[in-house]
Amino acid sequence: MTLQVQHVSFGYDAGRESLGEATRSFSLCDVSVTVQRGSLTGLLGPNGCGKTTLLKLMAGVLRPREGSITLDGQAIDAISRRELARHIAVVPQETHPAFDYSVLEMVLMGRHPHLGAFQLEGPDDIAIAHDALSATGTSHLAGRAYMTLSGGEKQRVVIASALAQVPEVLLLDEPTASLDLQYQMEVASLLGRLNQDRGVSMVLATHDLNLAASLCDWLVLVRSGRVVAHGPTREVLTAAMIQQLYDVEADVHFHEASGHLTVLPIRRTPMTTATPS
Amino acid sequence: MTFLESAMLHVSAGRPIRARLSMTLLGYGVLALGACLLAPLVGSTSISLSRALDRSIPFADNVDAQIFFIARLPRVLAGAIVGASLASAGVVLQALLRNPLATPFTLGVSAGSALGAILAITFGAAVTLGPLSPVPLASLAGAFISATVVYAMATRPGRPISTSVLLLAGVTLNSFFSALILFVQYMGDFAEAYRTVRWLMGDLDVGGFGPILGALPLIVVAFVMFAMVSSSLNVLSVGTETAATRGVDVARTQRLAFVSAAIATSAAVSLAGPIGFVGIVVPHLVRLMTGVDHRIVLPAAALFGAAFLVACDLVARTVLAPVEVPVGVVTAMLGGPFFLWLLIRKG
Amino acid sequence: MVAHPKRLILLSALLAVTCTARAAADAPAAAGRQVSGNGGAPITRIISLVPALTEMLFEIGAGPQVIAVSSYDEFPLAVKALPRVGALLDPDVERILALRPDLVLTYGSQSELETQLARVGVRTFTYRHAGVAGVLQTLRDLGAATGHAADAEREAREIQAQLDAVRARVREYQRPRTLLVFSRQPQSLQQMYVSGGVGFLDDILQIAGGSNVFADVQRESVQPSSETLLARAPEVIVETHATGMMASADAARERSLWATLASIPAVRSGRIHFLDGSYLVVPGPRMGLAAEALARALHPEAFK
Repeated sequence: MTLQVQHVSFGYDAGRESLGEATRSFSLCDVSVTVQRGSLTGLLGPNGCGKTTLLKLMAGVLRPREGSITLDGQAIDAISRRELARHIAVVPQETHPAFDYSVLEMVLMGRHPHLGAFQLEGPDDIAIAHDALSATGTSHLAGRAYMTLSGGEKQRVVIASALAQVPEVLLLDEPTASLDLQYQMEVASLLGRLNQDRGVSMVLATHDLNLAASLCDWLVLVRSGRVVAHGPTREVLTAAMIQQLYDVEADVHFHEASGHLTVLPIRRTPMTTATPS
Repeated sequence: MTFLESAMLHVSAGRPIRARLSMTLLGYGVLALGACLLAPLVGSTSISLSRALDRSIPFADNVDAQIFFIARLPRVLAGAIVGASLASAGVVLQALLRNPLATPFTLGVSAGSALGAILAITFGAAVTLGPLSPVPLASLAGAFISATVVYAMATRPGRPISTSVLLLAGVTLNSFFSALILFVQYMGDFAEAYRTVRWLMGDLDVGGFGPILGALPLIVVAFVMFAMVSSSLNVLSVGTETAATRGVDVARTQRLAFVSAAIATSAAVSLAGPIGFVGIVVPHLVRLMTGVDHRIVLPAAALFGAAFLVACDLVARTVLAPVEVPVGVVTAMLGGPFFLWLLIRKG
Repeated sequence: MVAHPKRLILLSALLAVTCTARAAADAPAAAGRQVSGNGGAPITRIISLVPALTEMLFEIGAGPQVIAVSSYDEFPLAVKALPRVGALLDPDVERILALRPDLVLTYGSQSELETQLARVGVRTFTYRHAGVAGVLQTLRDLGAATGHAADAEREAREIQAQLDAVRARVREYQRPRTLLVFSRQPQSLQQMYVSGGVGFLDDILQIAGGSNVFADVQRESVQPSSETLLARAPEVIVETHATGMMASADAARERSLWATLASIPAVRSGRIHFLDGSYLVVPGPRMGLAAEALARALHPEAFK
């Protein structure tokens, strides 16, 4: 399944627009991204650059003002919510359920798009849920209350919940943001495995450069709502690019032991180039 | 986590939902049915069931039959319907607002109902519509206005409802209407003020099937909508964006949830006045027993709510006979300590 | 503030709630006796906050001395022209003082008002809600306080004679079990307030030859459920309204409401009576009228 974003623009201030004001504030401007089947794409950029907005657009939660987003050639706003959810799943940055659901109940919610209007989960659905739990190494937590888990465990359960949708594309928003080093590595290796073993395409919005370097084969660099660069990780993740993106001087090296690029920030260099608005 | 909690989680984790739903419906259904069958047999007057059902005695002469069919049966039925409506509305609103402390009265619908009824009582309104007498009719009108205002404030076409705006609008309307109610009471005379106070305490003695028939169409509509929205409540209560990515039409589901809860609440309040605590005690009790899956909690709460209110009304009309305790007082006296206990347990 | 007649019904009931305890503590003969302030000087300017006392004043010849009345006063017709100074809950103290009365007739629970008046040397006469016997005693006490003792005594005897006459008329007839309704929600049998065997109207009922179907409850007011009404099965239903006459269409509709409780003997025999008039709810000199009206409803054959 190829997910294609073509010349998409999006702004949040719909109200102001309708009053005929000339000023338009766009969160994203003329963004084009192609998510190839089986790829692991990283969305990089500073806070507020529009990464999360782009993920929401890809998931169909938001509608672009201009441009189109297609899944295997079909426009996603022509696909029903339910149908779309069978192909694209999202792992949000934070999940705070209002009620004390168990881990299994949380994961079973991922089966929602596959169930009919009044249909309840059957044995197949439960099997898929358990499979998702074991894929994320959380089977032993099935009976526990979600809210009693640690940060890393919660994140893995949410990933399992998204996996239960059996998606072809998985969109993740800062999946390791609130995790400590151990869990970061755990989740990173989990994602890598899922991508390899199950062929799930992934799009990762992150500002953890090393995570992106270790995991992603394709990077899209975003700044102020525009795509600054995109391409294979090795080509795109350079010191010059990092300078342009973050105003930070960094050292980018291929690290033998880990087998991927590593980024070492050195100092801030706040010589801001004119930011396109 | 206590043993009880872990055991219940084990149950909810282990058993497939289809079996659990059937068992829950069966169990609570038996409870509700039992309450509805037993309650008309008990009351401040002792009657003989065989005499009440004796066809040979003309109905107009048969006091036992009159008490059973005119005084008690409609009352029990009203209690069941109102209890089921308020409890279900509570569950749905708690899921919609993602807050277990939401009640059917949170969104201002009951304040509008109350204002309508109190205006009717104070100014001696005399307009009727079919089986609806003036006060219930005015109560429905007030509820409709209130719900429309809240809805209009919180929705934008095609966009998800902002639950914080919804909550704020409801709270604001509650305060505003409560102030108006106090003002109307002050401007009225003793008789009217006393009657309004009494109305606010709730009264299931509807005195016939007429008022029930008046409220029934609305309640049926509300329950159909509850059924439509039930399967999406779990996902919705995790978060609106998460729900969207799991295939839920968030805007539609939210609107359905709000409208159905508003209709159920206004019908219940127009029939029996604003009976508090049912909409929050019952959902919590049910969740303690069945877990938090809304597809189970919703029907279970409806059935348990029916049984609960019928039982409370039974207490209300027998404990100090021949003087009746208003049923809202009984639910409050049970609800308050229950909540204290819940708080202590959590803390 | 325009007086609304039907308020008087529950005004009486509510008064009982506040005053019954005190009335019970005193002997019935002591009701309404308390007068404070310096005695001796003739009373020429009287303000009455109590409709029952207002009527008494006019009956005993003290009408010309009345300079202001309460918001709820409407009998006799002369009071319509008088200024109003509030009532039980909202007495207009400033207005009262501005009118410079000699004597102010107050309710037993208006102790603050009495204190204020005493401070400026105004005499007060405290009214305490009571049954029929208490009303006659109050009449006598009021006569003594306003310098019309002889008139009051004569009036009291007259009223007593009226009551005795009614009592005598219905003596031989069996007392029907009667439901005495103060008020209810219009076009519904919900929120009904009825007499519970105690109080002024219940006393009148006894005089008129009826027996209260809720006599055992011993409360001024009871709110019965449909079940209780069916169980008590009154033989006569009397609904009192302080407003004007009910239109015949309305009366028919109200009767048909009662028809839903078909097993009640009063409904079956059609003995449902709607009585209107403020004299039914004011425990004052028109008690005799009230007793007669009630007696006519309960025992029409005694008045042929």
